[in-house]
Amino acid sequence: MATIDASLHRPRATSTRAAASAGSTNALRTLVRRRFALNIRTPRELLVPLLTPVLFALIIAPALADQIPSVRGIDYMSFVAIATVGLLLPLNCMLAGIGLFVERDNGARRDLIAAPVRRPLLVLGNLAVALAVSGLQLAVLMGAAVLRGAEFSGTATGIAWFLAASIGLVVVMYGVAETLANRIPSQEEYVGALPAVAIVPWFFAGSLFPIGAMPAALAAFAKVLPLTHALAVMRYGLVDERGVGLHDIWGMSSPTVMAFLSLAVVAAYAVLFTVIAVTMFRRATVK
Amino acid sequence: MTVANTETSEMEMKPLAVEVRGLAKTYPGDVQAVRGIDFDVFPGEVFGLLGPNGAGKSTTVGMLTGTVAPTGGTARLAGYDVVAEPLAARRASAVVFQESVVDRPLTGRRNLEIHARLWGVDPATAAVRLGEVVDAFGLGEIIDRPVASYSGGQRRRLELARALLSDPQVLFLDEPTVGLDPLIRHELLDLIAVLRRRDEMTVVLTTHYLDEAERLCDRVAIIHAGRIVALDTPAALLGTLGSELLEVHVDGDPDAALSVLRAGGVASEDAFSVGGTLTVPLHGSPAHAAVVAVGELGLTTTELTTRRPTLDDIYLRLTGGRLAAA
Repeated sequence: MATIDASLHRPRATSTRAAASAGSTNALRTLVRRRFALNIRTPRELLVPLLTPVLFALIIAPALADQIPSVRGIDYMSFVAIATVGLLLPLNCMLAGIGLFVERDNGARRDLIAAPVRRPLLVLGNLAVALAVSGLQLAVLMGAAVLRGAEFSGTATGIAWFLAASIGLVVVMYGVAETLANRIPSQEEYVGALPAVAIVPWFFAGSLFPIGAMPAALAAFAKVLPLTHALAVMRYGLVDERGVGLHDIWGMSSPTVMAFLSLAVVAAYAVLFTVIAVTMFRRATVK
Repeated sequence: MTVANTETSEMEMKPLAVEVRGLAKTYPGDVQAVRGIDFDVFPGEVFGLLGPNGAGKSTTVGMLTGTVAPTGGTARLAGYDVVAEPLAARRASAVVFQESVVDRPLTGRRNLEIHARLWGVDPATAAVRLGEVVDAFGLGEIIDRPVASYSGGQRRRLELARALLSDPQVLFLDEPTVGLDPLIRHELLDLIAVLRRRDEMTVVLTTHYLDEAERLCDRVAIIHAGRIVALDTPAALLGTLGSELLEVHVDGDPDAALSVLRAGGVASEDAFSVGGTLTVPLHGSPAHAAVVAVGELGLTTTELTTRRPTLDDIYLRLTGGRLAAA
């Protein structure tokens, strides 16, 4: 044990207290850096969630494309490349939710809620990191798909549609992850629920085939899934400029209008789940 | 409830660091953890909340630090209402929780930096303060290691150092020595004792260790079943039982034996029994005279001892339960 330094006995500098009025931006930046430091300590933590989608893009998609050259005029390799995005982003967000259990179990969450920081920022800080990590993984995934032969439209508008839908989907899925992490009692139960939340919707959302190929009841169910809308907008942006996927959902003639409508659905889900996530976080943390 | 306290008259002239009025917390299921408590803590004071596990100490600290929502009453920290002005109240305080709450995968330095930023300390000041607390708490050799590699004592020192980084007006220490081995506990108590000498640093300490309360606290509130049953300086509380106690271990009904002692003039109303042990404050009467009197009353005793009163006795008399056993 060290001798206590005399500096601890001095009267406190008033500048410290005066400076203790940091704004929400500084707090959010700090929370984001903290979450990055906790989540991305090694490349492994960035690469492991990529494994399944990248293998899908490199092995399964080309094999499927060999058997099914195109879907409604869209090159199947490119069609499935977008599908892997719909697998990667929900998986990544749900895996991020595991960190919340670690934080809850080791007590760090209690310390954070005692900090002079608005509580929603604690959720939004985590969301920002989920967005950033998803963005990095998305770039790798799309790069792998291009290397294997997928062809994407490179227009600025198309990329904007794709990015908007991707961001919306991440916000939706992180909201779901945060909500579940604050509702489910144990990490084991959460991991058990993860495939049902992150993967099962993928089978219904027109990932590997158009939703019109499913029975009417399943197609109707698919239309209420945010993933269905997100994938349709992503494809409209990069591989499906005629908007056939959007037409399966809306049955309208204008692809742009339908894309806006689907994006609005994704945005509505994003707002809804973010509000629910913040509310659940508050309820779970402040007794 | 004992409230007289002449030693704090000077403190009373200053604005309050903590002001609690009718503070209550009822958890779902009608679990009344805190039942409307009142107390003030003066700037620079070390104030102890003493009581067994489940008495309501941590819930009280939780309400004051914003991690538990009060269901009744008010509380102000450094003048800020903890419900109406939560950010200002939290900025004015820091807390060392009962359990370790640092980010173990991160280094000690990273933990300190994050805390400073979240509490709004500007980077230049934070850098200076960080160096000071690292030196002061003997963390220099380990500060760049992941906290997961720290011993329990090192982690506790880091948490104390971290709490001081933001220069809080009120520092909450919630059972800071629970689970530590005796050596580390002793070292930590030394550190906390040093904090007492800091200008303007107000410390609210919860503990169920009597020696901690007696050693560190200017005043102590004994809390039992969600209520404050006594509040005063340790010396004043101990003074209510005089300077010496007679402890009588009896065979048979202890309450009947206590009645005999009272009827025989050996014990007054503040004597009490727990199990087969009667505790009799002597209030200046010679111990040997009391022992002789007990013998003359014909009680069957297995042991008679005298000793100085402790806060445990105060707690026993007020609540009928023993702190150390809680």
